[in-house]
Amino acid sequence: MSQPLIALRDVSLTLTSRAGPVDILHDVSLDIPAGRSMAIVGPSGSGKTSLLMIMAGLERATSGRVEVAGEDFSTLSEDALAVVRGRKLGIVFQSFHLVPTMTALENVALPLEFAGADDAFGRARQLLHDVGLGPRLDHFPAQLSGGEQQRVALARAMAPRPQLLLADEPTGNLDGTTGEAIVDLLFGLQQRQDATLVLVTHDTALAARCDETIQMRDGRIETTATLETA
Amino acid sequence: MSIDALKRPLASVPRLAVPRLVSLALRELRGGVRGFYVFIACVALGVMVITSVGALSDALRNALSQQGREILGGDVRLSRVHREATPQERAWMDRQGEVAAFATMRSMGRRPDGSAQMLVEIKAVGPAYPRAGAVDLSTGVALQTALKEGVAVDPLLLEQLKLKVGDELQVGRSKLKIAATITRETDKVADRLTYGPRVIMSLPDLRGTGLVQPGSIIRWRYALSLADGAGEAAAGLKAFRAQLKAALPEAGFIIRDRLNPSPMVTQTVERVAQFLSLIGLTALLVGGVGVANAVSSYIDRRRKIIGTMKSLGATSAMIFKIHLLQTMAIAGIGVVLGLLVGYVVPFTLVGALGTVLPIKLVFAPSWGTVLLAAAYGFLVALVFTLWPLGRAELVRGSVLFRDQVADDRTRPRARVMLMTALAALALMALAIAASDSKWIAAYFCIGLGITFLVFIGLGEAVTQVARRLPRPRMPEAALAIGNLGAPGGLTRAVVLSLGAGLSLLVAVALADASLLKAINNEVPERAPDYYVLDINKGQVAAFETLVAKETPGTVVRTAPMLRGRLVRLAGRPTDQVKVDPGAQWVLRGDRGLSFADAVPEGSKVVEGAWWPKGYAGPPLVSFERDLAKQLGLKLGDTVTVNVLGRDVTAKIASLRELKWESLAINFVMLFSPNTLSGAPYNVLATVRLPQGTTLKREAALSRALSQTFPAVTAIRVKDAINAFNSVFERIMVAVRLAGGVTLLAGAIVLAGALAAAQHRRVHQSVIIKVLGATRRRILTAHGLEYGLLATVTASLAVLLGSLVAWVVVTQVMDLDFVFSWLAVAQALGFSLGLILLFGALGTWRTLQAKPVPYLRSE
Repeated sequence: MSQPLIALRDVSLTLTSRAGPVDILHDVSLDIPAGRSMAIVGPSGSGKTSLLMIMAGLERATSGRVEVAGEDFSTLSEDALAVVRGRKLGIVFQSFHLVPTMTALENVALPLEFAGADDAFGRARQLLHDVGLGPRLDHFPAQLSGGEQQRVALARAMAPRPQLLLADEPTGNLDGTTGEAIVDLLFGLQQRQDATLVLVTHDTALAARCDETIQMRDGRIETTATLETA
Repeated sequence: MSIDALKRPLASVPRLAVPRLVSLALRELRGGVRGFYVFIACVALGVMVITSVGALSDALRNALSQQGREILGGDVRLSRVHREATPQERAWMDRQGEVAAFATMRSMGRRPDGSAQMLVEIKAVGPAYPRAGAVDLSTGVALQTALKEGVAVDPLLLEQLKLKVGDELQVGRSKLKIAATITRETDKVADRLTYGPRVIMSLPDLRGTGLVQPGSIIRWRYALSLADGAGEAAAGLKAFRAQLKAALPEAGFIIRDRLNPSPMVTQTVERVAQFLSLIGLTALLVGGVGVANAVSSYIDRRRKIIGTMKSLGATSAMIFKIHLLQTMAIAGIGVVLGLLVGYVVPFTLVGALGTVLPIKLVFAPSWGTVLLAAAYGFLVALVFTLWPLGRAELVRGSVLFRDQVADDRTRPRARVMLMTALAALALMALAIAASDSKWIAAYFCIGLGITFLVFIGLGEAVTQVARRLPRPRMPEAALAIGNLGAPGGLTRAVVLSLGAGLSLLVAVALADASLLKAINNEVPERAPDYYVLDINKGQVAAFETLVAKETPGTVVRTAPMLRGRLVRLAGRPTDQVKVDPGAQWVLRGDRGLSFADAVPEGSKVVEGAWWPKGYAGPPLVSFERDLAKQLGLKLGDTVTVNVLGRDVTAKIASLRELKWESLAINFVMLFSPNTLSGAPYNVLATVRLPQGTTLKREAALSRALSQTFPAVTAIRVKDAINAFNSVFERIMVAVRLAGGVTLLAGAIVLAGALAAAQHRRVHQSVIIKVLGATRRRILTAHGLEYGLLATVTASLAVLLGSLVAWVVVTQVMDLDFVFSWLAVAQALGFSLGLILLFGALGTWRTLQAKPVPYLRSE
């Protein structure tokens, strides 16, 4: 097995709410090698999304060690984490989260602009062509269908050529056919850019396309299955 | 494809170039400015007030300098009280250019039958008058032609004395035919305050009236059109002043030039403008609450977008800068709107008032006014947006995964708090720098700061108390109190926005009430009934005898009266002494001077000693204490006054405290009798009639006086007080209007806060409707909530406003403070009315709402 791109060691997460502290994750340890794809599955409230958030640097682990793409997240500031995300990570959301006041092209160019890239719009245009949205560059999110919006979100996630692609229920808001097309695109882009893919899903068919699947329950990894043995 | 930027080491956190930041910020504003209407309105209103005030004062200043020649009647005007120019002085003037001589004085205009009389402002002109500008008459004939026939008068005089053109008017001992009425007099603006209607006559006619006596208060004026165009340039005017000083060093003329024809008007305009600008700033600051609310709601709406940006690599600084640029762009819309309306309003107003004003206002946008108003607008927007923007940069990317309650108590980072404090300091510095009276501006800013802090504290206190109160049994009251304490509720915004405006209004109303009481109730008990001017010193005994005969029991007090100009303070020429702006008036023109053996009524020596009776040593003077302090004078210093062309230097022997409001005869400077008694002077008298004197008896005395002493001028104190009251009332209306603008800003903020909360309130009422609440219950709950808010806010505003009014009335004006329940009731009524009005509008919509769409959308 090659050097892991993601290495989690004894990661726990406790959130404080008005009602008191809530334990979300308990001593999760996990290695994901570069270039692999992994699905995180499990019932609602099992901690899937929280685990993904920790991998994205959007949530800080209460304890344990988080290393992603060679960066120790526990030593990085909020802004440094943002910079890591901008350069090394691409994230796809269930609700797309496109900026409504920006066109498809501008949405895709946004992470490149944040990173200070000179040719942000050239690369964004190319990516939108790659996902089949060449004729829709200047459309605003409200003028696009759900599937098209998710394709824009995918192009945006891939724009900085990320080493790691994280997806939270990427087909959760789409109908079956559109969802399948998006999944094809997701895996196609991952393979073309040789990125590592981690996705959270309830969809067993989608999970089955990944190299590995981990099953979560009550904030712990219950089982791990690889494609070869599944 | 080069995306090298992505491969830079992590240590170099990218900084976006300004054009890219601007592009990102503007891209985000494509959705329009919905949600920012209150923000824009708040900024625009304050900027509009400041711009309007600036534009009006600019226009007046432009008019004064551009029409200076018309206003002065020439390039320069020399004036002097008591003494006409000597032949040598006149010859010197004639060598400088063309001269138009005229004289002004106050006297009585009477019906020839003596049945009615009034104070008039006489202007007696020579044949060359006017050299510049114009006097237009109703009959269309030239002034000089009309004056050969008689006098030209203000139409008001005819109305008051029930006379018409062609009738005769008695002035002094002359009966003069009224040849025409005056429709325009361009040099009137340059005069001092005028109290009565104008009567223009020829100089020979004035001499014929018998009013020109040694000691009479006549201002001799000489308007010069300088030869060879010397008056065209400022340098020429400066040179003229120097030549006059060299050629006639002891003449004692007061000089005005066309560039600043009326320094008193200019200074008054500046002061009023500065005061109204501060009121505009208050409105802007109250509006700032609306700005902060709007930005907070905007940031709340954008939490997911900010989270998305963070997940895409945006740093906190980028988020902060993008949103700062956006809010400043929106503030820019408000500023531009305020500037535009600010210029349109006075222009329209003057269009409507055009003919009433004696000069033609010259409107021209000035960079000073535009930049000042814009700077105020942007700085206030900055002060109120930095805090909520500081919270925007703290939004974390995890909001995309997990709904979080926006915590309105999160504090921004220290850097942002420091920036907020710096912006507030810059605003204060600007307000102080833009004001002549630095201390007043500074106190004003500090007072506003305290007011804001008090109401922020009150808002917080009400919220906390509401949260901690035990739940009342009555569900409506429970709902009302719950709403008052709810996170993100209306309480803080409403208390702050309305509280500041209301406090100002209460303070104005109470100060107004105290002043009116001081003028109307207290003064007449002690005050004289008449002031009688220009009694010849040889006629004082006859005057007293006549008064005693006509109205026995009358108290007459007399004092010698001369006019003189302060020329040196403690040995230094007055034009080289820097004095407090509040005391400038003392140096500006000539002042009334007197001398006395004993300390006069209404005066108290507080430092030094009064001279002994029959004192015959070196000249001594007693000075009014506060003015002496403002002029930098102390006991033992000398002051030099020019009286009748002669410089008189006297040592300050005592300082006096004066009760001006007693309306007794009082002078800033009282000399030892040996100093001035040799000079020609007239006598000023106060007449206090016995209690119960009938109007008929008063009229008989007045007639007898005018027949026996036609040259004297009697001013009825009650008329003067009424005249003062009407001027005072107009000023207070202006102040109230200005205060009203602040309240309007508060109302906009209130409307904005209620509108922002509307969705949540409708949702709440839909839920309680589903649970069985009737409309009456919802109405009661809302009524209770708004009523409580209004009462708490108004009560504190009354307390704070009363405190401010008490300080102003007792400490600054030195009067007794009067508490007015009416003023308080008005403030309470206004507050309740405003909150209930806006609240009712919102509640009406709430009651109309159909539950299903709200429940479905959830």
